[in-house]
Amino acid sequence: MEKPLSWQPEFEQLVEEHQSMVFSLAWRMTGDRGMAEEVAQDVLLELDRNLRKLESADHVRFWLRRVTVNRSTDALRRRNAREPGWDEGFWVELEERHGLVESDEGSALSMRIEELMASLPESQRAALILRYQEDLSPEEIAATLKSPVATVKSQLQRGLKLLRLRASNYLKEYVRGT
Amino acid sequence: MEHNDRKDGRDSKFEQDDLAEFEQKLRFALQHRTAPMGMKARVLATARERRRQKQHGWQWMVQRVAASVVIAAIAGGAVAYHQIEERRKGEAAREQVMLALKITNKTLNRVNERLTDDNQ
Repeated sequence: MEKPLSWQPEFEQLVEEHQSMVFSLAWRMTGDRGMAEEVAQDVLLELDRNLRKLESADHVRFWLRRVTVNRSTDALRRRNAREPGWDEGFWVELEERHGLVESDEGSALSMRIEELMASLPESQRAALILRYQEDLSPEEIAATLKSPVATVKSQLQRGLKLLRLRASNYLKEYVRGT
Repeated sequence: MEHNDRKDGRDSKFEQDDLAEFEQKLRFALQHRTAPMGMKARVLATARERRRQKQHGWQWMVQRVAASVVIAAIAGGAVAYHQIEERRKGEAAREQVMLALKITNKTLNRVNERLTDDNQ
């Protein structure tokens, strides 16, 4: 396929435009800020190497989402192989160390939702992040994750149910505590 | 019966509203986060450095290939010169042997003629 002549991307401009999306995706997939920064940098550098192969702004966005999810999953697996059971106590430890800044019930729930995302299975987490952070349709998520649409719909449904259950349990505990 | 249906409908509506509200909260919680300070600068600097190294790598590779070609040409030339020289020496030696054989042949013919004359 011929690359449209009008589309001549500037790497710097693409980094500026997409860095927060890539970083947010990596952070929510890994649940680790440091690792997310590393993943995001690697993904953006890989974009620089693959820029000639990408044909449009939409193609860049699609490519970035797919590569970020894949690199984050790889990074998580590498870490889990190196440090088994890392994820089990991480959020508890993080909360104990820093404490949650809970100004009101809503923001506390928002923060907790983000944390609870990390406890979901990888495939459900990826589907939910792409759905609610990136606002993609199940078909677009399926294309990004190279999964059948039916599988993605089921992952979304299950993930949402599980997340909602955990969030409502947290909210009950929060209300009981205050 | 009708009362139960209406109750189920109300429950389902309540459930849907609840889900929609949760999805809204989820969207709010999953807004894009600001990228860390200096990440863009680090990425651009690394990309520049990689490009420079790649270019340098190319130059280095071209130099190595050129040097290899020159060395191969010199070695090939030397081998070819050596072979030509050997062949030339062989030709000269063969010509000398042929000359010596011709002289010997002539001498033997003369001896033979004399012997024939003496016998007659």
